[in-house]
Amino acid sequence: MMTPMLITTIALALLAGPLGCFVVWRRMAYFGDGLAHSALLGVAVGLIIGMSNQLGMLLVAVLFAIMLLWLRAQRLLATDTLLGILAHAALSLGFVAMALLGIEDAEVHDYLLGSLDSVTADMLVYVVLGCGISLGLLMRIWPGLLLMTSSEELAHAEGVPIRTYEFLLMLLLGVLVASAIQIVGILLITSLLIIPSSTARLFAKRPETMAIGGSVMAALCMLGGLPFATALDLPLGPAIVTLCVALFLAVLTGRLLVDRFKNSN
Amino acid sequence: MSEPLIEAKDLCVRRQGGLVLDNVSLTLGERDFITLIGPNGAGKSVLLRHLLKLESPNSGTVKHRHGIRIGYVPERFQIDPTLPLPVRRFLTLNNNQSAEAVEALAVEANCAGLLDKPLANLSGGELQRVLLARALSSNPHVLMLDEPAQNLDVSGQLQFYRLIDELYEKRNLSVLMVSHDLHMVMSSTRQVVCLFHHICCSGAPDSVARDPEFVQMFGAEMAQMMAVYQHSHAHDHTHDHDHAHLHEIKP
Repeated sequence: MMTPMLITTIALALLAGPLGCFVVWRRMAYFGDGLAHSALLGVAVGLIIGMSNQLGMLLVAVLFAIMLLWLRAQRLLATDTLLGILAHAALSLGFVAMALLGIEDAEVHDYLLGSLDSVTADMLVYVVLGCGISLGLLMRIWPGLLLMTSSEELAHAEGVPIRTYEFLLMLLLGVLVASAIQIVGILLITSLLIIPSSTARLFAKRPETMAIGGSVMAALCMLGGLPFATALDLPLGPAIVTLCVALFLAVLTGRLLVDRFKNSN
Repeated sequence: MSEPLIEAKDLCVRRQGGLVLDNVSLTLGERDFITLIGPNGAGKSVLLRHLLKLESPNSGTVKHRHGIRIGYVPERFQIDPTLPLPVRRFLTLNNNQSAEAVEALAVEANCAGLLDKPLANLSGGELQRVLLARALSSNPHVLMLDEPAQNLDVSGQLQFYRLIDELYEKRNLSVLMVSHDLHMVMSSTRQVVCLFHHICCSGAPDSVARDPEFVQMFGAEMAQMMAVYQHSHAHDHTHDHDHAHLHEIKP
């Protein structure tokens, strides 16, 4: 029972580290939240057309990204306004669909906060495959994506297909959200992206260090969160994120102490 | 005569109803050094972006010589401080520069001492030199710079333009630069193109300063200052120089 969970969490952490860095660098936190909000609708869509949860969520995430990019290109409203509209539209549609499908509140609750029972052998295949392919793709486009994050104009001039890369990044985030949501939950999934990479930022001097550091931090928190939640009978998502925050505060304190020590010398 | 490096013919670009570029043609050949001047909103950056083929015009064509390499220094560059990116890593991003090549580039662009600093901590002048090093990394035929010195103080501007001059002398490349620093542009003896949606005038700096359209755009005072600058500049270097124009443009 524990082994699929271990493999799943490690696969998720490996992808969450580098993707979380881009969420921090490119200020995509609200976009991550929006994707997460659309996940409930994804589950409903999956149920209706008979697909797995993960594929349903991925399908809705892709539609979400396409609609956002299209609306943004119309230049009528600011991006964060558009995100707000899309995210809450998706979330309410998700709740409405779940109610119409007669899904029990307890199950919806598990999607919101994550659950220990969610990981099945079936899901493991999707998650490991999805995270593996995504990580491979991310490593391929890493240098161009990094250049485009430092300057979109420079990257464009040097031949990086910036629109394609931006969409790929959104797609990869969609894969991660679809894979992780049943463990961490819709409400907290963005923190799994932001907090571990922010913790790594406190000591990283290179982008690659920050990405790997983020993965290590995410893995520690998820692996620690499992026994923590089991022992105290806690919802899994909040248990994991509590550990993330504790780790962040510990590293932050360490960093501030080191800075003070350096300055006094 | 060899094939031009970049050739733009009859470019028209329409934005929100108005023509930003109106029938603009421009040719950049080998060893050319063209400075593009013009008031704010004249379409200078738009022209540069079309010459780079980053955007397509409503009509007209831009032709690049086959296999051309262009080094580009963008107008704005602001890196998010959450991205920990040392200069050395930035210079190897998305290209296959060896460690030695990066060191050599940094020496050439006068930023060797900055290689281990985070990009986000650099001053305006330091950042421009790093961007210049990156632009040189492809061993370009053309260096394109969009107002490269706008955030520098006067001595920083002087140093930066001198660096560009040196690179132009040392390397076999052409330069196309947008600049607001009229006095700096005019002190060099290269080609100036004056743009206000269409090309108003072009030629050597002193002839441009005498052009009625230039006088109209930048004012008689500016034109006169240019001419005086040219005049004294010419003396410094004991050029053979026509003095008559100084009196021609006096109001």
